Amino acid sequence: MSSFRLQADHMQSDASLVTSVRKATSVDETAPKRKHVRSCIVFTWDHRTAKPFWIAVKVQPLFASEIQTFKALITVHRVLQEGHRSALKDSQPERGWLKTCARQFPGGEGMKGYSGLIRDYVDYLLDKLAFHNQHPEFNGTFEYKEYISLRQVDDPNEGYETVYDMMNLQDHIDDFQKQIFSSFKRSSKNECRISALVPLVQESYGIYRFLISMLRALYKTIDAADTLEPLKQRYKSQHHRLRQFYADCSNLRYLTSLISVPR
Amino acid sequence: MKAAVRSVKNFSKGYTDTQVKVRNATTNDAWGPSGSAMAEIAALTFDQNEMLEVVDIIDRRLNDKGKNWRHVFKSLSLLEYCLHSGSENVVRWAKDNIYIITTLREFVFVDEHGHDQGQNVRSKAKEISALLSDDENLREARRNHD
Ligand SMILES: CCCCCC=CC/C=C/C/C=C\C/C=C\CCCC(=O)O[C@H](COC(=O)CCCCCCCCCCCCCCCCC)COP(=O)(O)O[C@@H]1[C@H](O)[C@H](O)[C@@H](OP(=O)(O)O)[C@H](OP(=O)(O)O)[C@H]1O
Ligand SMILES: CCCCCC=CC/C=C/C/C=C\C/C=C\CCCC(=O)O[C@H](COC(=O)CCCCCCCCCCCCCCCCC)COP(=O)(O)O[C@@H]1[C@H](O)[C@H](O)[C@@H](OP(=O)(O)O)[C@H](OP(=O)(O)O)[C@H]1O
Repeated sequence: MSSFRLQADHMQSDASLVTSVRKATSVDETAPKRKHVRSCIVFTWDHRTAKPFWIAVKVQPLFASEIQTFKALITVHRVLQEGHRSALKDSQPERGWLKTCARQFPGGEGMKGYSGLIRDYVDYLLDKLAFHNQHPEFNGTFEYKEYISLRQVDDPNEGYETVYDMMNLQDHIDDFQKQIFSSFKRSSKNECRISALVPLVQESYGIYRFLISMLRALYKTIDAADTLEPLKQRYKSQHHRLRQFYADCSNLRYLTSLISVPR
Repeated sequence: MKAAVRSVKNFSKGYTDTQVKVRNATTNDAWGPSGSAMAEIAALTFDQNEMLEVVDIIDRRLNDKGKNWRHVFKSLSLLEYCLHSGSENVVRWAKDNIYIITTLREFVFVDEHGHDQGQNVRSKAKEISALLSDDENLREARRNHD
């Protein structure tokens, strides 16, 4: 049954994958078109690999344009999140390419105001990849149901480590979203920038829900509650900032029409 | 005119009766498929071969381009109907291929009048994704349909 789609005649070839990536990373200052990003995601599921996706990304002449590079980073992020599990593994060797992206746009804001954002985005993606490398049991959006068992919590230290690492990632999301908001231009629609917030909303919410259940489990297994006090304090402050982030997002009509922003 | 083009296409592409039924239930016409058309298709899914033909067309329609957003929307509706009252195999197929549906939750299509027709598809895709990830709910929905 599960091989059924392999026979479907619309299944994309490598050539149409290249077209999808090219269109997703077009030079227009808009969100990457969902249709093309979706094709990239679906490709990784159909073929259970993200290697052809990366080849397609790397053949694009992106670095001439801040906007194209920024859209490529959004596309990569979406594939990491929604793609087949192999996407997280297949992307580990591509950290070099990400660093190259950042090096193309050193210092300052850039002509279109994306250079700083590109460097911040690369930093975040490298951090995310490092997390997944360390904790391969998580999927790209940290979905609770996918995680099946909280088996790590059997070993309180490991549970503690995981929570700690996730909180670092959550802080990084918070820093990055603030950079995006502060880069908004009064005169424009900012659609391209806003579209980078979409995966951040989804990811931070996944992490948030995870942290809650991890912390609960930790409280059950660890007797000395004061060892958990620092985590609890940190959780509280993150919770507060996350609410602020979602409140800011719910003022963006483009975003609220697209996804449901948690409250 | 449209109907004529359609039947020429159906014939020239060699679609089977079942495939034609699914195509007709998921056209670009502004009006939706009738309940009886959907019920007939759902009933067909209890045969393994027919079921594969049904999901084959649904699958193609779900991956159609933005301009054909009605294809996408109507096949989601038909799929939902089949999840409620079709065979268990439809449920298995949908779970195996859930990424086809979840990735439609952000479907966008702005028509020539500037209306975002994607909203219909997005909310339907959200409903079905939620249904498929909640076995309890799904069982309940299927029981109510018997
Ligand atoms: C003297 C006598 C002659 C006689 C002859 C006879 C001759 C005979 C000829 C006959 C032609 C007869 C029929 C051909 C008629 C139309 C063909 C149209 C095909 C057609 O549908 O084209 C459309 C739109 O086209 C245009 O926007 C543009 C359409 C432009 C169309 C142009 C047509 C041109 C024609 C010209 C003709 C020219 C002729 C020339 C002649 C020259 C002579 C010297 C492109 O299709 P589409 O991509 O937009 O989307 C369709 C569309 O949305 C459908 O509604 C949808 O089907 P449903 O969901 O069932 O409604 C389709 O889904 P499927 O693919 O899953 O089925 C979609 O694929
Ligand atoms: C002896 C006889 C012979 C006769 C012949 C002929 C015969 C006659 C025949 C006639 C045909 C006449 C008219 C045909 C008219 C329209 C058909 C065009 C259909 C049509 O609308 O085609 C356009 C493109 O067309 C062009 O760019 C370019 C379109 C160009 C069209 C060109 C035409 C040409 C022609 C010429 C000229 C000329 C002239 C001549 C005249 C003659 C006179 C005697 C398709 O545009 P679309 O909006 O339907 O499709 C879009 C488009 O593909 C986007 O790129 C795509 O987005 P991305 O994937 O992101 O790129 C959209 O996807 P989503 O919806 O999912 O977002 C699509 O939906």
